[in-house]
Order: sequence, then C-alpha cells, then structure tokens
Amino acid sequence: MAEPLLRAFRPSAANPWDAAKAAHLLHRAGLGGPPEEVQRLLALGVEAAVDELLNYERIPDLTEAVEFSELRRAYADAFALRRAGGSDQARRDLQGRINRLQREKLQEVRIWWMARLVATPRPLQEKMVLFWHGLLVSGFPDVQNPEFLYMQNHLFRRQATGNFKQLVLEVSRDPAMLTYLDNNSNRKGKPNENYARELLELFTLGVGHYTEQDIREAARAFTGWTLRPTPSGEFEFFFNAGQHDDGPKTFLGRRGPFDGADIIDIIFEQPAAARWLPRRLFEYLVYLQPEEHLVDELARIFRRENFEVRPLLRALLTSEVFYSPRTRRSQVKSPVELVVGTARALRMPPTAAAALLLAADRMGQMLLMPPNVGGWPRGRAWVTTATILERYNLGSLITEGRMPGLPPRLLETIRPVEVTGLVPPTARTAGEVLAAIMDRLLPGAAMDQKRQFALWRALGANRASDPVEATPQRVRSVLHLLMSMPEYQLT
Amino acid sequence: MRQGMTRREFVKKGLTIVAMGATAPSFLARTALALNNPWDLAQVQSRPGVPDERILVVIQMGGGNDGLNTVIPFSDDAYYRARPTLAVPAKDVLRLTEATGFHPSLAALRDLYDRGAVAVIQGVGYPNPSRSHFRSMEIWHTADPEGRVVRYGWIGRYFDSKCPVCEQPTVGVNAGPSLPLAMQASSGQGIALQTPQTFQWMPSQRGIGAEQEWDLFRLLNAPGSSASGEPDTIDFLRHTAMNAVLSSERVREAVGKYRGGVEYPNSRLGASLKLIAQMIAGHLPTKVYYAHMTGFDTHAAQRGAHEALLRELAEAVAAFLRDLEVQGNASRVLGLAFSEFGRRVAENGSGGTDHGTAAPLLLFGQGLKGGLYGQQPSLTDLVDGDMKHAIDFRSVYATVLERWLGADPAAILGAPFERVPFV
Repeated sequence: MAEPLLRAFRPSAANPWDAAKAAHLLHRAGLGGPPEEVQRLLALGVEAAVDELLNYERIPDLTEAVEFSELRRAYADAFALRRAGGSDQARRDLQGRINRLQREKLQEVRIWWMARLVATPRPLQEKMVLFWHGLLVSGFPDVQNPEFLYMQNHLFRRQATGNFKQLVLEVSRDPAMLTYLDNNSNRKGKPNENYARELLELFTLGVGHYTEQDIREAARAFTGWTLRPTPSGEFEFFFNAGQHDDGPKTFLGRRGPFDGADIIDIIFEQPAAARWLPRRLFEYLVYLQPEEHLVDELARIFRRENFEVRPLLRALLTSEVFYSPRTRRSQVKSPVELVVGTARALRMPPTAAAALLLAADRMGQMLLMPPNVGGWPRGRAWVTTATILERYNLGSLITEGRMPGLPPRLLETIRPVEVTGLVPPTARTAGEVLAAIMDRLLPGAAMDQKRQFALWRALGANRASDPVEATPQRVRSVLHLLMSMPEYQLT
Repeated sequence: MRQGMTRREFVKKGLTIVAMGATAPSFLARTALALNNPWDLAQVQSRPGVPDERILVVIQMGGGNDGLNTVIPFSDDAYYRARPTLAVPAKDVLRLTEATGFHPSLAALRDLYDRGAVAVIQGVGYPNPSRSHFRSMEIWHTADPEGRVVRYGWIGRYFDSKCPVCEQPTVGVNAGPSLPLAMQASSGQGIALQTPQTFQWMPSQRGIGAEQEWDLFRLLNAPGSSASGEPDTIDFLRHTAMNAVLSSERVREAVGKYRGGVEYPNSRLGASLKLIAQMIAGHLPTKVYYAHMTGFDTHAAQRGAHEALLRELAEAVAAFLRDLEVQGNASRVLGLAFSEFGRRVAENGSGGTDHGTAAPLLLFGQGLKGGLYGQQPSLTDLVDGDMKHAIDFRSVYATVLERWLGADPAAILGAPFERVPFV
C-alpha cells in the first residue's frame, strides 16, 4: 500500500470524487445524513464540500435553549437559608428538591443535546463538541449542577474549531471543569493535584513529558482558581488571591511566580503540546495510531497556525490519506455516531431524542456522564458481547419502537419509521429495492454475494433480478437485519 | 413466547455456520466446537489437587482506593499527623491486631475476617509506580510494569493457557458493558453483559417472521469474506456477535435456575455480585467473573464519599458470600478486590487525598486462609511523599493462578514471583 500522505486529495479518473467518498466525508466530518445530502456534497466537489462543513457560521444555528431559572432559584434559596440558619428539616427539604431538579435538568440537557445532534444543520460543529467533551472531560455526578455541563457544552460549541490554547485556558476557568477536577478547592499551602495532573497527562502533553514534581508545581500555580455564586443562583469563575500561592515555582525547566495562565503558556512551548491534539484529532476523524510522520506534519501546521484548530481540520479533511481505502469503512462508530447517523439517514424527528439517548446509554456512551476523566472508549473497545446486541437491537427500536432495557413509557415517544417511504416506486426487483436501502443506510459500502443473498431472501427473492413487492414486513426485516450486521457498525 | 431458539437448535445451526465459512478463523471454529464441550467434559485438566470447579471473582475499585483509610495503622502517630481531618480516631477503628484495623464502614467485612474468610495483603504495589490512573490500571491488568508490549491481560493469558472450559466464550464474564483488558485473550473468549434481559438479540415482531429472521441473521453474521469494511475488524465483530448469541441463551438459562432468598444491598456492586451469584448458581462454565466499582478518586471531600464506597464493598461482599453459602458454592469461590494505587499519605487542603502508591489488597472466600499478610509500609520513610511497597501485586496473582486456579504462574506472568500463603 502507498505511504499515507497528508498532501491534498486530487480527484482523477482512476480515483474520482464519487458518492462513496462524499458519504465518507458526511459521516466522518459530520454526523451522516440521507442520500440527498450525499448527492449534494458530491455535486459540490471535494473542496467546496469541505468548505461548507467547516465554515458553518454561514448556516443559521438551532436556537432552542434549556431554562434553569427554577434550579437557580433553589440554589439561591439554599444560600439564603444557610445564611439565615434555617432548621435542619427546612434544609433537608430544600436539598431534596435541589437533588430532584438536578436530575431532571440533567436529563433535559442530555436530551436537548441529542436532539441537536439529530437535527443540527451544522454537523461538523456538533461533531467537534462531541470531540471536546471526550477530550476535556467533565461529567455528572462529579459535576452535580447540570447548568455547568450545559455551559461547558456551549463553550465547546463556541470554540469548536477555534484556538486550542485559548480553549484550554477557558476550560481551566470553566465551572464544570473546576468542579469535576476539584480545582475549586485547590488552596495555597495544601494544593490539590487533580487538575494539574490531568491537564498535563490527558489534555495537553501525555505521560512521559513531565515529572511528578512538575505536577506539584503546576498545582500550586492553579491555587485560588475557583468559583463563586452570584446572588441570582448562578456561578462564575473567581480568582481568589488570598488562596493563591504566588511564590516561585519550577515548571518544565522554567522558574517564576507562575499562575495557571503562565503554566498553560509554558505547556504550549513544549514540542509535545503541538503533537498532542493533532494526534487525537487524527484518531477521531481518520484512524487510530497514525504514522509518526503524519503527526509531525500536522504538528508543524498546528504550531505555524498558532494552535488554531480549523486549519488542522482542513488539512485532514482534504488529504489523500483521509479518502484512502485504508481509512474508509475502517472506523467503529461510537454509539452516538451510530444512533445519530441512523436517525439522520432516516430523517427521524428530534422528538425521538429521548429514546435515542437511552439507546446510546445502553451501548456504553452516556452523554454528559463519561466513564472517567479519560473519556470514551475508542475503536473496537466500543464493542463487546453486551454492546453488540444493544447495537443490533437499534434496528428494532427504529422499525418497531421496541428495545430491551428501554422503559415502555419512553418507547411510546418514538414513532417507528415509515418503512415503505424508503423504497422508491421505481424499485421493482430485489436488487433495486436492496440498492435503495443500502444507499440510505450503508452508502459507499459493497456487500458480498452471500450476504446479498440473505437480504434478497428477506424480500422473498432468490436473485437480484427477481421482481418483488416491497411490503412493510419485508422492508422492516431488511432494515433490522442490515442494522444487525458488522458492516453497519463501521464507517 | 418464542424469543430465540433452543440450545439444541443453536448447536446444530452454530455448527452449520462454521461449516459454511470456508475461511472461518480458527477462533470461530473453536467457539462452535466448544458447544459440545460443557463443563464436565473439560478437555484439559488443571494440575492435580486443584479442583476444576473453582472460580475467581475480581472486584475493581476504580479511581485509587485510599488504602490508609481502609486498613488503618491506628497505633502510628505519623498517620494522625499526616491526616489532621481525615484520620479515623483510634477508638473507632475495627481492630484486627494491636496496630492495624478496618475502617468502621467495613463492619460487614470484619465479621467475615473473624470467621477466617478475609485475607488482607498489606503494602501491595510495584517498582517505579505510576500515578496515572490509566497507566497504573493498565499495569495491574497486564501485570506488566516494565511496559513491554503486552496486548492481553493476565486473566486472558490464563484463558490462553488452556484452563478447564477455556474453549467456552463464557470462561470469563464481566458484569457490565465493557470487557476489561485484564480479561482480554488471544483466543477472543470472555464475554460482557449488563442484564440477562437485555442480553439478547430481538427479531422483528412485524417482519417476515422470527424464525426466518434468525436464519438470515446467522447468515449475515457468519464468518467468511467481506466486500466492505476493514477485514480484521469485521472478523472481530462477527466473532463478538457470535459469542454473544451463543452465550445469551446459556446465561439466561443459568440465571433462570437461581432461587434467590438472600437480600443484596441496593448498590451497583450489590447488583453485579447478585448477577454473578445467579450465574454461579446456574453452573455457567466460567472460571473468572469481574465486577466494577468507581468513585475512589477522592481528591476532595473524601470523608463521606469514601465511607459510602467502603460500606458498599463490605455489604455487597457479605451478601454475596451468604448467597454462595446458601447455594452450597461457598468453597468454590475466591474474591480479589484491588485498586490501581493507594493515595498520598498526607491529606491535601480539599479534605481529600492525591494519587499515591502502595495499598492493601483484599481477598475473600471460604477457601482461603484468612488473616493479615505482608506489612504496613512506613509512613515516614517515603519516596515523594508516598509509601514503598512491601509485596509485588504479581505475587498475589501468582498465588491465585497457581494455588487457586492450578495454572503455571511463571508462564503467564513471564517471571517467577514469590507466593503469599493465603491459599
């Protein structure tokens, strides 16, 4: 196989810009979509298609927001009660109410995000929000206030393709992160190392590029970076000078009275910092374990562009390696990619979000509740005997509104897909009907003879040329079977 | 109601699948053949004197359990100096010896300890400890602190060493959606499940008929060439799907035999251990079960959180052992509870503790020799504020592998390690 290259993909007669590559772009750089969407990107050509995905500001965004006033009022009441020294019973009652509101709001935010993923006209932006959530991790229950997670989600959306160094600085002051990694109680004299360690290990440099001493010194620099409540029940970043250790620190070979912003400056002077994000982004969008020369090239671009993310994305999405056979159909869809891609391909309404959210939960990806600070599994780690059956049962959820483990009251909210509408009246043979369904659910994929035969059988035929009647029963079974195949798990 | 097929049908059809695929990878052939190899027909016997029906249950305490506040050196002033707000007062410690005792939240374990069913190995760790959750957990899972490239886990390598029933996908069962690295094997055996009810593929109700859909499902997931998708990954997915479908009916059948009667605490570990007890009751051909706890990463406000976790551990383990006793399976099961590291000796300013090194490891079961092993590392002779380990965790693994599971530990761990005489 030819050496994978970052140089621009130039379509040729032998290697054209075709529907398979357009579908690949739509799934990897976006969240998938119906055949019309693939055709549109195909007509644009590769450059314009990437531009459109990247320059999403030109497309009006969804505006629906989550309302937190009731929870804020409850927090404000709690402060007032504490100050006034209310009775134990009153405090317990209020705490009970706050706990209930937190759970309800968390679920509302999670459903809100899933609905966005399903409906957004800016898929690359939303895909990057998912990326940042998996890299700069915070989550419930360590973060109890769902508004913090909602605000962080918007921070990731605002900075989705912006400046990474700026994002690291902003996330260091972000209420969810300050709570999740305990920097809100990082105090002078007895520092808390949690944030400093993960900042270096998981967010910017990686193991092997710092010492235990660097962690201790960085933790001192972040002392006093905390939160404070506002009278309205909201919270904001607060630099508590009285709790900040302004003594000299030695960090990665430099010495000075550093604070957190200085630490981030020094981190981004390290060669390892220019390689960290490009590697993670490559693994998210292209394939795992990229060749080192590709990381080197991306790191050069990243440094040259002063840690802007958008030029990196453009380099990746227009590269030869991105469209190479090695890349295409090699990636295991994450549960969110699987359910969202399915919903978008079938044009399901955002009202299906609550059921889709729980389906992804069962497959091992709980939005806003990542397993730990390391974020989500990747690649094959998504698939176990437990999760593959949950993934396969998605077909049943989509076509019949049934899925083991989902509560019946929730299943009532999902309207099964109108299956007959998926087959054009011009499709009269088994081959034509299957092609139409494959075009929608597995665009750009081919199927070997044996599996094609199995799917023709589901349509009551033995050969591609056999005329068939695409009854709802048959189409339902074909959809469910197609989604119960290994091939459907890949993109 | 007809949801799947009977085991007999599947045996027949499973073998058909393998016969169909000319290029069936060997692991798929093994999976199908294993159906005719139930527990009592195990082809490979373990070493003489070690009964084949023994089971290991691993509990992972994720996040780094504070060992010092689990098994407490209450006679050491250095403990109280280092932990002005977090130390447990000596009067509250559940004493095991003149110097050492359990955290008061471990009352249920203390009863078991008194009956000789708990072994505490003190000061467990490894050289050049990593304080990264992920690196250290990987080290515990692979038993490879030197960082050679080890792709499979220590339990997985035990499966690969041809233990009894190792040909069965259910030789290792994880309670929960993931398959831990510790259990990953080159043979691809080992399964994960969340609940028996959700551990099944569901054919359409309003489709072409469940029976025909099942037939086609098997064709679509059978081994063979693929026209689309990275071939290794497709093979892996097919293998996983087949193991899942094969195991699904067996697990649900085994769990169906469970009589119950023992009450479990309402916690994640309680639910996991109950599920495991159900599978043990149903004589699933399994050598190793795996359960998870998380939340031990107590950098801040440790007190209440850590107490609740220890109570969850102790009460779930106590219920589990009670259940096994009622079932008559108590002598078959050894439990091992570990964490990726202990925590710093000195508390931080957040009422919590940062990442540390050596910590105690707990074992439980009627088949072990209860008591305290190893020794509490010094709280004043520290490296970077952390304790020096006294016993390498691979010594514990070696003991479990050899004396409990009847395997050759040097072959699995790549080097000889001393045994700890708890079995």
